[in-house]
Amino acid sequence: MTAKTFNRKILYAGLILLVLAGPGFGQDWISAITYQISFPSGDTKQFADETSFTGFGLDFRKPVDRYTTVGLMFGWNVFNQRVTKTAELAMENPITITGLQDRTLNSFPVMLNAHRYLGQGKDRRLYIGLNAGGYYMLQRFSIGINTFQKDQWQWGIIPEIGFVMPLQGGSTLILNGKYNYAFTGQSPLGGDINHEYWTIGIGFAWRQY
Amino acid sequence: MMLKDIFKNGKILLLSLILFVVSFSLLLTSCYPGDPISPSDTDVVTTFKNSAADFSSKFSYAMPDSVIHLGKDGPVESESPAIDQQILSAVERNMAAAGYTPEANPDQADVLVVAVVRTTQWVTGGCYPWYWGYYYPYPGYCYPVAYTYETGSLLIIMVDPERSGEIDPREALWISGINGLLSSSSNTAARINSNVDQAFKQSPYLSDGK
Repeated sequence: MTAKTFNRKILYAGLILLVLAGPGFGQDWISAITYQISFPSGDTKQFADETSFTGFGLDFRKPVDRYTTVGLMFGWNVFNQRVTKTAELAMENPITITGLQDRTLNSFPVMLNAHRYLGQGKDRRLYIGLNAGGYYMLQRFSIGINTFQKDQWQWGIIPEIGFVMPLQGGSTLILNGKYNYAFTGQSPLGGDINHEYWTIGIGFAWRQY
Repeated sequence: MMLKDIFKNGKILLLSLILFVVSFSLLLTSCYPGDPISPSDTDVVTTFKNSAADFSSKFSYAMPDSVIHLGKDGPVESESPAIDQQILSAVERNMAAAGYTPEANPDQADVLVVAVVRTTQWVTGGCYPWYWGYYYPYPGYCYPVAYTYETGSLLIIMVDPERSGEIDPREALWISGINGLLSSSSNTAARINSNVDQAFKQSPYLSDGK
């Protein structure tokens, strides 16, 4: 599957989710969509050490009381790096490989979540939350005319802090910061990998009716 | 204060948000890295170390005075003896830097080193038998990792001279594969030196005990 074909499928999936965000969820569901900038850290930084400007998040939250919502979230964050460096392939006999490499990580978090909104202000609210679930990780390591890949589900969590503020015109601004951490995973080069990255998101939220 | 007072009704936003995601996703399709731009960008140096190999007891090496060129059906004549000599010189220089002394008699050497150029694309992924020639191993069709080598790839192979007959290629002590080095005439001399140097640089264990 080529990168463009793959992205087209992602586009269709995103559209379906957005349609669901309309009538698919009943009254009082809060939907939010954010554009995200991501900063790799830990093993992800080792794999692809470049800030990602390609990512978005989609949240569906159901209020359960005046201060709390529960729901689910979807995301997509893309990390790319073209670099010439030396990498180790973890195999029975050590293999070292040096050359121009294209490293790509597509991370798709899919999680359940709960958020607590602090204070009682009607013009802005701070919130904290925890997302728990997993990520579908598409990892590519291309060097020369060869590509090593590992696509798998990895369990993980996303602690989150955010800020919401109603805007004129019927929407609500949402700003958030997330720490993404995957507990389990394997690298396309062999061996274990625990992806982690930070995201800053900005977008809009709205309530269905 | 209810949460619904913070989150406004937003049905009219849906269309604009769809447009936002469409635009954003189309933008993403252009964010994959492009193609390499020069022959040296495609150079790849791979080294394999037999985990059982102990290089601290290896001090001398023997190497044929020619590079083996392997075509689809076996050895072929070299079309570039000058380049072959440059490859051998680069290997000799790095073996000396790693602490090995040349030995003319292969029977007296601690390791045997051969340089092999593949004149065809070589798709690997399995381990096929190797055979020994008169003094040196004839590396047939094997490399211990699934990998595709382009035309003009150089292999530098180090084996234990005490082995004889048919052996498992995984018992080679060390192998370096330099992908596509001779597939282009662009700056070949510099690329031979830099890539052979890199093969030894990323194999510091070759200097153990020296």
